[in-house]
Amino acid sequence: MAARDVAHRGWLRLGACSTAALALAALVSAAYGSAPSRAATAHAAGTVSLNDTAHLHLTSHHSFTLNEQGSASGTIAGTIYIHLNVVSTNRVTAEVNLYPSGGSLTGYATAGYRPSGGVASFNGTMSVARGSGRYRGAHGSGLSFTGTIQRTNDAVTVHVSGRMST
Amino acid sequence: MLRLATLAALTAALGCVLAPAGAYAIAEQATLQASFSPDRLGEPTTITFGFHLSTTEGTAPPPLIGLDLRMPAGLNYTTTTLGLAICQPAALIADGLAGCPANSRLGYGSALVEVPFGTGAGHEIPEIQAVAGPSPGGNLVVLFYANGLYPVDAQLAFSGEVLPDTGRFGSQLTATVPLVTSVPGGPDVSIVSVTSTIGPSHLTYYKHVHGRLVPFRPRGVSVPERCPRGGFPFAAEFTFQDGSRTSAQTMVLCPPHHR
Repeated sequence: MAARDVAHRGWLRLGACSTAALALAALVSAAYGSAPSRAATAHAAGTVSLNDTAHLHLTSHHSFTLNEQGSASGTIAGTIYIHLNVVSTNRVTAEVNLYPSGGSLTGYATAGYRPSGGVASFNGTMSVARGSGRYRGAHGSGLSFTGTIQRTNDAVTVHVSGRMST
Repeated sequence: MLRLATLAALTAALGCVLAPAGAYAIAEQATLQASFSPDRLGEPTTITFGFHLSTTEGTAPPPLIGLDLRMPAGLNYTTTTLGLAICQPAALIADGLAGCPANSRLGYGSALVEVPFGTGAGHEIPEIQAVAGPSPGGNLVVLFYANGLYPVDAQLAFSGEVLPDTGRFGSQLTATVPLVTSVPGGPDVSIVSVTSTIGPSHLTYYKHVHGRLVPFRPRGVSVPERCPRGGFPFAAEFTFQDGSRTSAQTMVLCPPHHR
């Protein structure tokens, strides 16, 4: 129960990552030619090509769901939480929440699941359902969602790539 | 008259139970056993399953060529650490269990086979091993291995694939069983009964901790968190060399305080 409480509190905490802010600032700055400090707070419509990798560790598990927390790096960096639900012997679904500086993104994924020895891999697609803050209105579908689960400790590595509208 | 009618009804009912649909000439029959140990909802467990094949005539059943074991919905494979390593079938056949990593072991059991000559008595294969095999299709693969000695000097190795299922059943182990020749050029052996576990009972795995190899007990598949009315259903279908089939069902009763 203690582990679950920690996970729950962690779920509500927004991650702060200066590199994410800088990356986004540079992105928007390049698009609009404005100063990074101003661009970092702007909400601009456009398309972002995501290419992110995250490393997560198990915070708790309940029934068929592994609750994972970690950090994402790449196009958008920040604290990431994944609820990975093993829905059958060869299929998983996931809710992904990413908290970069100044906003958040929520996505849902389905993937095939292949346990093989000490590592299980998954491969599927993710859609970005919503965003907040500077990612308000974010959406996208058909993003690649792949990764692995270390079966000894349920540590997860996940890679997301594809285009997302903001 | 009443006794005659009762007898006729009983005979008809018994016929429905024993005979596969539409095939009264086929007389194979099967019983299935299953259990969880420990039997606690939501807790990792060792699953023991076994079956016995016979005929109504009292003879050995035809050689078994296929097995489809359906397991209850809700069995939780999420956090099991069984099968952390993979055993290559070629290594298993060449060297037996010694050819497989310890962390590939899934369970063990025994079998009784009938050799179609001699006394007619069954011969026990005292040791069957279940290990995790390569899974080209992405599903969990269980390799079963038995090293037959006298009078059947043959190795029995076959694989089963754990597939998702629907309804009351959450997964099914589908296996094709190879024919085992009793003696060169002789008839095939009949499998009469098999008992096997899938779970951590009597298994020891190893992991490296600070450069040392440390033994540990793997975590099993978990018993479903809720017990359906009547218990956890198991079912099996058996296919024989002559094309006939038979099936059997059983229930693992709910833990006492959940009945």
